[in-house]
Amino acid sequence: MLEIKNLHASVEGEDQEILKGVNLTINKGEIHAIMGPNGSGKSTLAKVVSGHPEYEITDGEILFEGEDITELDADERAHLGMFLAFQYPIEVPGITNRTLLRESYNTIARENGREELDPIEFDDYLKEKLDVIDMKDEFLERSINTGFSGGEKKKNEVFQMAVLNPKLAFMDETDSGLDIDALKIVSDGINKIAGPENAIVLITHYQRLLNYITPDYVHVMMGGKIVKSAGKELALELEDQGYEQLEKEFSLNGEAQ
Amino acid sequence: MSVAVKEKETILNFLDGDFGSVSNIPAIAGLNEKGAGNISEFPFPTRKDEDWRFTDLRSISRNHFVPVAEAGAESIGDISDYYLPEATNSRLVFVNGEYNPELSSTKDIPENVVVGNMAAYSDHDILETHLGKYTNYDEDQDVFAALNDANFKDGTFIYVPKETKVEAPIHILNVFTDAKKAFYATPRVLFVGEAYSKATIVEEHVALTQNEYLNVTVNEFKLFEGAHVHHARIQRDSKKANHISRPIAHLDKYAEYHSYTICLGAKLFRNDPRVVQNDEEVDFTIDGLVLIDGDQIADTHSAIDHRHWHAKSHQLHKVVVNDNAHSIFNGKIFVRKDSQKIDSFQENRNLLLSENGTVNTKPQLEIFSDDVLCSHGATIGHLNEDEVFYLHSRGLTKKKARELLVYAFTLESIETMEVESVHKLLLDEVVKYTSRDEEFVAVGK
Repeated sequence: MLEIKNLHASVEGEDQEILKGVNLTINKGEIHAIMGPNGSGKSTLAKVVSGHPEYEITDGEILFEGEDITELDADERAHLGMFLAFQYPIEVPGITNRTLLRESYNTIARENGREELDPIEFDDYLKEKLDVIDMKDEFLERSINTGFSGGEKKKNEVFQMAVLNPKLAFMDETDSGLDIDALKIVSDGINKIAGPENAIVLITHYQRLLNYITPDYVHVMMGGKIVKSAGKELALELEDQGYEQLEKEFSLNGEAQ
Repeated sequence: MSVAVKEKETILNFLDGDFGSVSNIPAIAGLNEKGAGNISEFPFPTRKDEDWRFTDLRSISRNHFVPVAEAGAESIGDISDYYLPEATNSRLVFVNGEYNPELSSTKDIPENVVVGNMAAYSDHDILETHLGKYTNYDEDQDVFAALNDANFKDGTFIYVPKETKVEAPIHILNVFTDAKKAFYATPRVLFVGEAYSKATIVEEHVALTQNEYLNVTVNEFKLFEGAHVHHARIQRDSKKANHISRPIAHLDKYAEYHSYTICLGAKLFRNDPRVVQNDEEVDFTIDGLVLIDGDQIADTHSAIDHRHWHAKSHQLHKVVVNDNAHSIFNGKIFVRKDSQKIDSFQENRNLLLSENGTVNTKPQLEIFSDDVLCSHGATIGHLNEDEVFYLHSRGLTKKKARELLVYAFTLESIETMEVESVHKLLLDEVVKYTSRDEEFVAVGK
């Protein structure tokens, strides 16, 4: 579904590379976890893949279902079925969750030649999806993330994902800052959404989330590259040993190259 | 060699008119005479006057305006598109400042209430008593109020007796037609609400074509004890028009006056709302929403005068500026000595959509008492690019994302509209403003 080949990227207008040759392949039906210390480039990878204008791709390519998407705008990527759950969801006063989601859902439907939903049909559809994150109807009437608690903001990202039903979702630290109850609700929601036709990439700093969601693959990112990939046992290993061991290995390798 | 001393200009340098003729209604005639004297004396404002420092008046001073009768104005056709369904039979229509009885209808107005053209009330006590009594513009040597005084013959007269409610909204529809020459018109409103009366007014200014004219309005609102007025003002003048507006409200004890001015049209719009508190425990609003682009100038100079205890006042002035447009806001709030327990809110929020737009803002508080709660603030900002990207990443085009954000910015003001069709009309106007053919110019990061 997604193939990232030798991806290099920097902040637009700056020389400093943040991604220094990322390679990653994701197939449908898979859940991947990308872990790594702060500043390793995890969030940058998510933003570059979703088309954030702040970053410039200097080399490599991103193929989504075989199509090179590096030149596409963020909305066009969303139309293809890509989704980014934000690490820091943005507050948008004055626009309700319902308004945004209806506009989003119908735009994506239109772009894909599917039928748009009228307000009444859409409301029924939304209410169904509220169960995914255990929220009440009032949630729809609230301005996007405005005055939301940290947990509500993250739930809202999962809710948006449930409604838009993307093929591929990058979830950027969706677990960070959640208390135990919110973490359960959020991971339950993600588990409900995960299926054989979609793929999910969890970007996380901690192993905590992976107690609730079992990834098929775990990758470790350091210094703008994926330095190690393995099965779910890698996460436990990291939890025990921390990143220091890997950092040593990686920097030794780096020096040897 | 001698230096020529430039003589002070008056508004008569920029317009023709015979101001010797006066109305045959005594109350109006008195003002006509006073105004005729004033306009030949009051100096035309310049940028050196503090109140006009930021306001470019060249769209008036480089033009020449004639009376409507000499302008070759087109006669009015079918304007039913501009009627409000809620006010089918509570509507006064003025065409280029002149009352049009055929297009007006007041069938739904209760018998004890007056809604009509003031020229038809030659010996009405209320008109005699109140007309011209609340404007205090002469002390400011206000040339525009003087022009209105000198020129108006027709005008809206509304009188709501004690404990009477006018159910239907009263629609004052000022229509401006195309003309061969630039003309001036002087709409006038007198509203008198007796004790515990209640009314909703929709005052609208709308142009049928994009021609040049000078629209100078004076509104006087007198609210007796416990009177309650909701006043929506929709300014959809021609984008080449100049509109100078002087609305003033005098509030007695327990009166409530809530006005909302929406500025969409005019090359130059200058609005000087004033509210005067005559007694304790009044509650009032003078909100504004300004949506301008091209080379429009929208200038609000408001003055709120708290003279007694327990007043609650609210002023939210929201502005969206695109292209080279220019917004000016100067909000004066006075709290006189010994007027305690005042709760006053003022905020001016500006959203700049272009590199070349200009905003001048000056909240101005003068407080001479100590037990008051006055909050005031002004912000100027561009669209938040993080918000744009968030919506963009959800599949909305950048244009749509910006439209939605501008729409959200304006919504708070529009939701205050009580009359359903006015609410709808404004939502349509906002969509029209935000979804222009030209791409928005993206600004900032």
